[in-house]
Amino acid sequence: MFRWKKLGRIFNPAELGHGYWMKEYAQAPSVLIFDSFVRIYFSSRPLPDHKGQYVSRLGFIDVERENLFNIVNICKEPILPLGSLGTFDEFGTYPASVIQTENEIRVYYAGWTRCESVPFNAAIGVAFSADQGNTFSKIGEGPVLSFTPDEPYVLGSPKIRRFNDIWYLWYSSGRQWLHNDGFPQPVYKIRMAQSTDGIEWTRLGEDLIQDRLEKNECQASPDVFFYQGIYHMFFSYRYNLNFKDVGRGYKMGYAYSIDLIHWKRDDEKVGIGISEIGWDSESVSYGFVFELDKQIYMLHQGNEIGKYGFGLAELESYK
Amino acid sequence: MGKIFDPTNYSLPNNCLAFAQSPQAIVFDHFVRIYFSTRELDQYGKFLSHVAFVDFEKNFNEIIDISHKTVLPLGELGCFDEHGIFPFNVLKDSNRILAYTTGWNRKISVSADASVGLAISDDNGLTFKKYGKGPVLTASLKEPFLVCDAFVTKFDDQFHMWYIFGTKWISDLLDNAPQRVYKIAHATSSDGIHWKRDAKQIISDTLNENECQALPTVIKANERYHMYFCFRYATDFRKNPERSYRLGYAWSNDLISWTRDDDNSGIAISAEGWDSEMMCYPHLFNCDEKILMLYNGNEFGKFGFGLAELEV
Repeated sequence: MFRWKKLGRIFNPAELGHGYWMKEYAQAPSVLIFDSFVRIYFSSRPLPDHKGQYVSRLGFIDVERENLFNIVNICKEPILPLGSLGTFDEFGTYPASVIQTENEIRVYYAGWTRCESVPFNAAIGVAFSADQGNTFSKIGEGPVLSFTPDEPYVLGSPKIRRFNDIWYLWYSSGRQWLHNDGFPQPVYKIRMAQSTDGIEWTRLGEDLIQDRLEKNECQASPDVFFYQGIYHMFFSYRYNLNFKDVGRGYKMGYAYSIDLIHWKRDDEKVGIGISEIGWDSESVSYGFVFELDKQIYMLHQGNEIGKYGFGLAELESYK
Repeated sequence: MGKIFDPTNYSLPNNCLAFAQSPQAIVFDHFVRIYFSTRELDQYGKFLSHVAFVDFEKNFNEIIDISHKTVLPLGELGCFDEHGIFPFNVLKDSNRILAYTTGWNRKISVSADASVGLAISDDNGLTFKKYGKGPVLTASLKEPFLVCDAFVTKFDDQFHMWYIFGTKWISDLLDNAPQRVYKIAHATSSDGIHWKRDAKQIISDTLNENECQALPTVIKANERYHMYFCFRYATDFRKNPERSYRLGYAWSNDLISWTRDDDNSGIAISAEGWDSEMMCYPHLFNCDEKILMLYNGNEFGKFGFGLAELEV
């Protein structure tokens, strides 16, 4: 059982966002730890176009290492370009997962394109930073993880990790588009792939997390970390349809594993939920767990899938 | 040998009215089955390509029958092959027939994307079942879109695929819509499902860097590998015969490096008639000691396909 103590919201784009591209949303926070500060990457959005459609862009804030609520820097421009005409990431880069190895900093992200019969498709891209994570550039115009006979569309929510010199990518894989009276909605489940270099991937080819709400439950943001001898996954899940209604949106789920392949879902142990009032009173989702100076923290987004920013919780107890 | 099939003379399944594009053959003991893609108009006035076939006597003068039902259904909502299957490349593999499909899905900023799927027939090619809802070959790091036009064959127990991948979409003021550029590439596989590719253009351009190269087809004859394909300018190619598809030719001794040699293709557009403005979508096959080539003519095969015999 985890017990998380919420410490409050760190960043609200409506108050602190600046530039044309950081008007609304601060989604899917992901952290790199530097000597004197902590960098929190997230995806933000300009205002929607005349058809109400958004693009999402990657940016970051830097916060003081000793006080994670003290923002010391907000990046000025998006740090990852959108794709060129016709490419998989022409209309958005969200969510993103940043990783630092001995030699480099990489970001894995879901790229978005727009389609005619369904509103969008997504695949997973990779980009590299040559300037300590200030900006990223791509090594190709296409995705690093794309569709297969068994994973036909909507590959999103990448979370990149390395354990024992193996690269692991957890992600969501689209299984079906529901017609939903002309407003198609995808069903997606959490899956995993492994790699020795982070470029060529071998997929496990199985859904990892049992459904809890319904057969068409959507599962996203599979955040995995190793703590006290086992692997823990905090993920997000919701009902498929009408997910903007109260109670049907994303909640935080939990599962654990000893081998990174077989997972036991046990949402009762998640230890974090919605607040009574405020920015995360309807939904808490897209967790990112990290250790900093001997304390375990979780970043998470709040209502309306991060429209009003993200906040922080600290681990009070675990047993 | 000229045009051998005109789809407008027949009643086709799936409400298809015209087009018999990218003809590709399977040779049986007593007849030859030629698959092609034909088109239906959907409720939005856009085309959907469907696979059909026609069975010929081996003299190619007499038609035995045409397909009366769906050979392979289009993909369900959101799938890569929801809006058409074209071309359809067939290969005998022991007692099954493999089909490498090009599936089309419509997009917003550009007209469509395409990927290569696999379907398998256990009834001599009358019907096919898909190997999964998704593609076996699709966009990758260095091949960002339009991975399609697969031609698969086996040499020395290894599967080889020649296919094309998109390199860019360019704006076209004439057509008021982005136009694509694509190039021929090569992949190998031991099982026909998992493919290794190096994402390199293997056939040099002759027109310019935006030359579009499509539908490669490869055959071995006289200890050498021969490839035909079609190529055109990237823009103003639909109505302007000077810029439309021609057949190109290349040869290789090792299946890796190819020498382009269009002057020795031995075939060119006719002065008049059904293939006087363009030639496209070639398909080479062996039939009773002969090497034959199916291809389309004017208007990308709207009025059918023809046959030629290759004299090496």
